[in-house]
Amino acid sequence: MIRIWFLLSLALLTGCQFQVSPWETDVNCPGMSVEENLRRLEALEQASGSKAFYQVAILSDPQQYPGAFEDTIKIVNRLDDVDFILLLGDLAQTGVKAEFEWVCKAMQSSKKPILPVIGNHDALSFGNDIWLDVFGPLDYSFEYQNSKFVGYNDNKYEYDNVPDRGWLAQQAEVAAGELRYHTIGFSHIAPWKDDTQLSAFLQDAGYDLMLHGHEHNFDLWHLYDVDLEHYIAPDTKEKRFGLLSVYPDQLVLENCDKSCYQPTARVLNVDNVNNESKTSAEP
Amino acid sequence: MKRIFILLILITHTQFGWGNGVYVEGQSGAQMGLAHVALGYQWSQNHYLGAGLGYVPDRSDHEEMSLMSFSYLYSGSTRWTIADGWAIKPFNFGTSLIIASHSDLFVSLPEQYPDEYYTPTAVRLLFHYQLAVTYGQQWDAYVDFSILDVGLASYIREPEFFNRHYDYLGLEGVTHWGVGVRYRF
Repeated sequence: MIRIWFLLSLALLTGCQFQVSPWETDVNCPGMSVEENLRRLEALEQASGSKAFYQVAILSDPQQYPGAFEDTIKIVNRLDDVDFILLLGDLAQTGVKAEFEWVCKAMQSSKKPILPVIGNHDALSFGNDIWLDVFGPLDYSFEYQNSKFVGYNDNKYEYDNVPDRGWLAQQAEVAAGELRYHTIGFSHIAPWKDDTQLSAFLQDAGYDLMLHGHEHNFDLWHLYDVDLEHYIAPDTKEKRFGLLSVYPDQLVLENCDKSCYQPTARVLNVDNVNNESKTSAEP
Repeated sequence: MKRIFILLILITHTQFGWGNGVYVEGQSGAQMGLAHVALGYQWSQNHYLGAGLGYVPDRSDHEEMSLMSFSYLYSGSTRWTIADGWAIKPFNFGTSLIIASHSDLFVSLPEQYPDEYYTPTAVRLLFHYQLAVTYGQQWDAYVDFSILDVGLASYIREPEFFNRHYDYLGLEGVTHWGVGVRYRF
């Protein structure tokens, strides 16, 4: 009995980490930086060539439920038209190392690039340092299939002078000769009620759609006198997410739950064609 | 924080004297600081109540920080004798409230936030299991396994997630170890 107990304790001792406090900052999360995921997306774009249609999964607020988050990612993995995932913040609840590591484990099950923005809870404790180290910039943008995606930090209680409006306007500018179908912004928090000018500013700057999280439920709204739509993705506790279909002349949003779990008929047809090709090639 | 600790030492000393169940302990790790010292009172064979101070120096993975702790430990009566005067105490469970002192953490909500926007980031709850080796009536050496509040909550909510990714029933993902020594006066 003594030996068994001792061996069990020794086994646990060798497995778990020596940690001096909950506030350590050296999060183990390989391969999840924005830079690495953008490289994966660029490789995907080069491999697929120009597309008239693709989808983007919009996930948000996975804090406290890394298992449900991983399940949601696995659902998205099965959706062949989804090229990448936007993750709209609050990966952690209290900003400590352990929470980021659990979410990272879940993110590593994704077959698609994940592009995150920081949420207000992520910045708590030493979360800002962890974010910069693990994921990288708080504001960044990228182009994919002639559309521009602009991720930005707008957690005003945790940071001064956010969002950076000058930078946001600069990112929305279309260069001479550039083919741009859409400009899509994404951040954790939709414009605050006391900031009535931000939505109008973003529309004037050239944004076509804004994506946010923070509120834990689906929503879609625009101000009375501003046409710019703000879409809110729910948390992933119930495995819900938003699905954005991008066409050259159109953006279509769907609220996803179990109804989005199966690939669409069009995707099934593609699989059938491939199977038939394989069959006919056989002697 | 140091004043409170000194006050606790004085209260313990004047109320109970240095005998009759007063103990000191030193620990490293298990989320209680790189170095942690505590003073407490054992009011029966099984129950320990203590207060301590922890410290983490500036490191590449940690800001310099001090922390205060208030701990309760239930120490089971089971003893497995392994040699003359030596025994293993296998069943020791406890909890600690730790309060960190650092400018990036807060106990009361800073002014910029609306009421009840966040819970205090400097105050955390730890849950402990200790495997102790005892020598005579006075000395314990122990390995402390601690789980942070969010770790326990997450593990209870989604045990299958931790089982999938971590060894030892998933406990590897939420548990951190440390070592310590306890001396009873």
